[in-house]
Amino acid sequence: MSAFSLSDPAALRLALLANREQVLTELYAHAFPLVRQHVGRHGGSAHDAQDVFQDALLLLYERAVGGTLVLTASASTYLVGIARNLWHHEQRRRARLPHETLPDHLEPLAPEPVETEVAVLDYVARMGEKCKRILLDFYYFQQPLAQITASHGYGSVRSATVQKFKCLERLRQAVRAAFGAETLTA
Amino acid sequence: MRPELERLQHIEEQLLRGPAAQPAAEWQLQLLLDPELQADAEAQQQLYAGLRAAGRRQLRSELAGIHTRLYGPPPEAWPHRVASWLRGAFGRN
Repeated sequence: MSAFSLSDPAALRLALLANREQVLTELYAHAFPLVRQHVGRHGGSAHDAQDVFQDALLLLYERAVGGTLVLTASASTYLVGIARNLWHHEQRRRARLPHETLPDHLEPLAPEPVETEVAVLDYVARMGEKCKRILLDFYYFQQPLAQITASHGYGSVRSATVQKFKCLERLRQAVRAAFGAETLTA
Repeated sequence: MRPELERLQHIEEQLLRGPAAQPAAEWQLQLLLDPELQADAEAQQQLYAGLRAAGRRQLRSELAGIHTRLYGPPPEAWPHRVASWLRGAFGRN
């Protein structure tokens, strides 16, 4: 069954965990043209359509893998609905602003990261590929350790676990060194 | 695992509600008795927030890549491609 026609959150979650790129591509190819058409008909640009659609897809991903997604129709229909709401919200926001302060881009879905988050972001970007992958795959993409063990080539779940905590410790030390003890205390 | 890593794991179980998480009252008592644990837990919570922001950044970049593969580069990129082609064709930097 194609990802876009899935209406069972558990099946969508498993599909996203097993093959994120393929599933996101299927959803993208199926739902984005509808969102582009809607945004275009309601005063938005192609760039606006891309922004709201990607925000909607990010939201869908986080809810699906986090186990909080509730679907009453297909994933694709849900995605189009969320993107439409985001665009209407953005239109209202722009209408409230004077013309000279109209932003070039949409208001970000998530609040701006606080200072320590920026420090973590910067350090993660500079981390070795191995640590970066294991930390993001586990903490953000929510892949189970058994899957990480297989896809990253660790000998056992135990060694993947140890490696994950070594990387977390490295991240913590780096952020502490950058920030001093008052922010990341210990 | 080294004791430092065990401590990270212990805090993680609690913060992410893992299978080995303690009952809330027991954890609150530990925090009261060990001020360093409180500070460590707050620090670890900040790391998770930062990792979430980093993950979002990566997912956005993956989505931008999917968009480009499906629909080509953004329209504003084409003058740069033409300029780059002209530079190559005429051997100018």
